[in-house]
Amino acid sequence: MSEAPPPPDPTPPPPPHGAPPPSAAPPAKVDPIPPVGGVPAAEPRRRLHPLTPLLSSAKTGLVAIAALSWQTLSKVGIGGFAVIVTLCLVGALVLGLVSWYTTGYQVVGRELRISEGVLWRRTRAIPLERLQAVEVVRPLLAQLTGLAELRLEVAGSDTEAPLAYLTVDDAHALRERLLTLAGRASASGDGEVEQPGRLLHAVANRDLVISQVLTPQVLLVPLGALGIIAEAFVEGSWGFIAVASTLTAIAGVLLRPVRRILLDWDFRVFLDEAGLRVRRGRLETRSQTVPLDRVQGVIAVWPLLWRPYRWLRLRLEVAGFGGFETDLTVPAEQLLPVGDQHTADRLVAEVFPGVHLAHLSLAAPPRRTRWLHPLTYRRLGVGLTETTVIVRYGRFTPHVVIVPYARIQSVRVVRGPLQRLLGLASVHVDAAAGLTAVARDRDVAEAWQLAAELVRRVHAAQTAR
Amino acid sequence: MTEQPPAGVDTGSARAAWSAHGANPFTPWPDTLTWRPVSPNLIWVKLIRLGIVTAVLLGGVTVAWAVSGHPGARYALAAVALVAIWRAVVTVRAVRAWGYAERDHELLVRHGLLVRRLSIVPYARMQFVDVSAGPLERLFGLASVQLHTAAAASDARIPGLPSGEAARLRDRLAALGRPHAEGL
Repeated sequence: MSEAPPPPDPTPPPPPHGAPPPSAAPPAKVDPIPPVGGVPAAEPRRRLHPLTPLLSSAKTGLVAIAALSWQTLSKVGIGGFAVIVTLCLVGALVLGLVSWYTTGYQVVGRELRISEGVLWRRTRAIPLERLQAVEVVRPLLAQLTGLAELRLEVAGSDTEAPLAYLTVDDAHALRERLLTLAGRASASGDGEVEQPGRLLHAVANRDLVISQVLTPQVLLVPLGALGIIAEAFVEGSWGFIAVASTLTAIAGVLLRPVRRILLDWDFRVFLDEAGLRVRRGRLETRSQTVPLDRVQGVIAVWPLLWRPYRWLRLRLEVAGFGGFETDLTVPAEQLLPVGDQHTADRLVAEVFPGVHLAHLSLAAPPRRTRWLHPLTYRRLGVGLTETTVIVRYGRFTPHVVIVPYARIQSVRVVRGPLQRLLGLASVHVDAAAGLTAVARDRDVAEAWQLAAELVRRVHAAQTAR
Repeated sequence: MTEQPPAGVDTGSARAAWSAHGANPFTPWPDTLTWRPVSPNLIWVKLIRLGIVTAVLLGGVTVAWAVSGHPGARYALAAVALVAIWRAVVTVRAVRAWGYAERDHELLVRHGLLVRRLSIVPYARMQFVDVSAGPLERLFGLASVQLHTAAAASDARIPGLPSGEAARLRDRLAALGRPHAEGL
């Protein structure tokens, strides 16, 4: 650990400026014109921050440059390229101005209304009862200008409704207010304005960088580059386009590890009464709260390339969350992006008391299945603890899946033709969020017993609540 | 409930957690359950469906034969007929393999010939129940009941129930389940 984790704050933080405590009269700070006589419906429509068109056009400009690519640059020359980009930027700016002028939001009763559009006016009313979570996100451009984006997650629809951009204070105030109106002020917190709770673990950024360098993508880049250089030597041509395209391709390959580093920078996990709170991010600082009773399971993975360090990562499987991360290349929730066995053991024990990742008591499948799993046999195993079922598999990248009985949705016993011939059966344990733990190739009598015991414990866990 | 042997990785003792209950009270389990079969009429539904598909295929091949006059078409006809007969045999056996059982707290559904599957779904995990019936099924007074949980993999579908039984099962499941995101 190159970096000491910041100690948990012993004193409560000073009241944040601009964000009223949830108990205060909600509209006090948000609205310059206080509602008359407590009638919230009377409040005026508000616009987004005036810098919004600039920021959104800058974004469009970057996209335009990316879309034009090196090919275009070589065709039209630097001058033509600059003209095209300028035209794009001006066009985007004009569009941004118009859209900023016509976009407005207001809280009416228990609804948030967002209206937008020039030719097709559209007003989206978001009932605040269905508000799942509100997140204040600060992308790079917004950070440079001191602005923030407010993202809403609404139950029953996948569409998130972003409000971009607001001042940071406005965003926090509006977030507090929406959550208060939705009746769940403490349900999902934002670390920047609330006390973060007990610090469980802080990931050293050095470890994070090393762990992402030790991924197939990064390690294969020198090979790929060598191949291209060799080819260029053989062909005898060193065109500008070839080099530029190669660099772009390498950048594309490296994008994912770099994104992971930026996303998980300064990764810290806290635990408070609301649940696990994860704070991370370099370009945009994110803070997410996962109530412990929404954790469907934890998956521990030991990647092959991390073996010299004996590192592993922990993934949280959470139902009905992670909707913010529309990009599929980023796992929805992480408990630990990289860490050693001891840390992982501690974190898992916090989430599932009584589970010791380092000392799992697992039963292997019957010996007669060895030849079915020549490589992985020694890794296969299933075990029951007081609160969870644990399954292990995988030779080169071992996985351990932990599912609490209270989250099991169904238990299945599956016997394929070969398995029936050999008197074997697989026991599938299904949880929400697509999580399935499979105990493969157990003896059939044992599989029935295991299934029966699992069902019994599911029932016991459910009646205990 | 479960003792953790110190650092006992892959010892057989972990198995005690689920096999320690005396001399295996579930020995004949799940055979001690009263499995209910699905309606034999489902065989007819499936056979009629198969017959329609086969007729369409045979008709297509015959038309092609008439148009092109290629002698290979007779083998195609024979192949279609053979596959249809084989499918019919499989269908009869597959329908007989379907079964379901209601325990105190769980619904059990088993099906499959080649790959035998048994799904155990606690009633409390039920999100909602679907009862559906296609035109052919309605002709025979049948309906399908599907139990949905929060896990997509749960696989608890019972086809070919007499409509009365389907309604009874639906009502019983609805009464037993607590559909408000229990266990989520």
